Amino acid sequence: MSVYAVNHLCREVLRDHAFRAAMKADPAAAIVRYELTDEERQALLAGDVAKLYRLGVNAFLMGYLPRFEVCGLTMPVYNERIRSAR
Amino acid sequence: MAQIVGALGVPHTPLYPALVEREGPQCETARYFAAVTSELEAMRPDLIVMFDTDHLNTFFLDNLPVFAIGVTETFKGPNDEPRAVPIYTIKSRADVAAHLRRVAIEAGFDLALAQEFTVDHSVVVPLHFMTPGMRIPVIPIFVSGHVPPLPSARRCYELGRTVTRAIESWPEPLRVVVMGSGSFSLEVFGPRIAPGRSDGVPDPDWARRICALLEQGAVSKLLEEATQEQMLRAGNVGGELLDWIAMLGAVGETRPRFVTPQTEQGHAYAAWTLS
Repeated sequence: MSVYAVNHLCREVLRDHAFRAAMKADPAAAIVRYELTDEERQALLAGDVAKLYRLGVNAFLMGYLPRFEVCGLTMPVYNERIRSAR
Repeated sequence: MAQIVGALGVPHTPLYPALVEREGPQCETARYFAAVTSELEAMRPDLIVMFDTDHLNTFFLDNLPVFAIGVTETFKGPNDEPRAVPIYTIKSRADVAAHLRRVAIEAGFDLALAQEFTVDHSVVVPLHFMTPGMRIPVIPIFVSGHVPPLPSARRCYELGRTVTRAIESWPEPLRVVVMGSGSFSLEVFGPRIAPGRSDGVPDPDWARRICALLEQGAVSKLLEEATQEQMLRAGNVGGELLDWIAMLGAVGETRPRFVTPQTEQGHAYAAWTLS
């Protein structure tokens, strides 16, 4: 049940500005503090939001990733990828 | 005795403050908010009770109440950085809120207690447009409308009825306005967003249907049709309708002064005056 951890991480990108900066600089290092499955870690670092959505991550929490442009996500990239999860 | 003098339903789209700043007071959204603001001012409220669905910013998945009430003298927001909105300190009334909570619990609505909290755009965006001086105290009542299982429409309506009765049993002669904050059909950052946007309106027909039922004062029909399945089909924040339904608890079958749909955006602006 580490989908909870991914949700938490997304919210921290909004709330914790130091974590946000760390996620922009070196996401692989920044997420070490979270206990994630390999699948979650890979999807997150690849910005594979369709996969994360299918795993059960909350969509509007995930929206903080493109909003603050972490994990290689921008709004256009996010838009295209999340719509593929229909 | 306190009395409910009116009810207002509004959207809280976090993009609106920046939109209105860019497009000016004559744009549609600015005019619609101005219309509900005139209604609010004519009601001369001493207090606002706002039914609201928080976007996992006040509460989170670690500890998520289905219903909660803010019992405090002030709270701040927004805590989620919507553009063009300052961080406001909003006054409240801890004594009245504690009374509402006591009456609600006696009636079987176990409202969680929030005494130290911040709120997100869903509370602040409507206030930013409607009470920018933040002179009117606001009591927020939080309804879990985003994370299924959702409370039923009937339960939220009954909560609204109970809050109305509680206000009417408060000895001070306060003029109280009840607000419902939220959308009818809206997907935010989920798979059903529109190309090129961060949101989308999966079910504009449902938004139109709600507006028609509100116009008619057809509350029972609305409660019947507002199933969890229908609300979620209308988008991942479609459960915000529950805030309007709780607000209707103060209104019953009274016809509104107006319902102004913005259905291509999945919501409406509405006002009820009560004598």
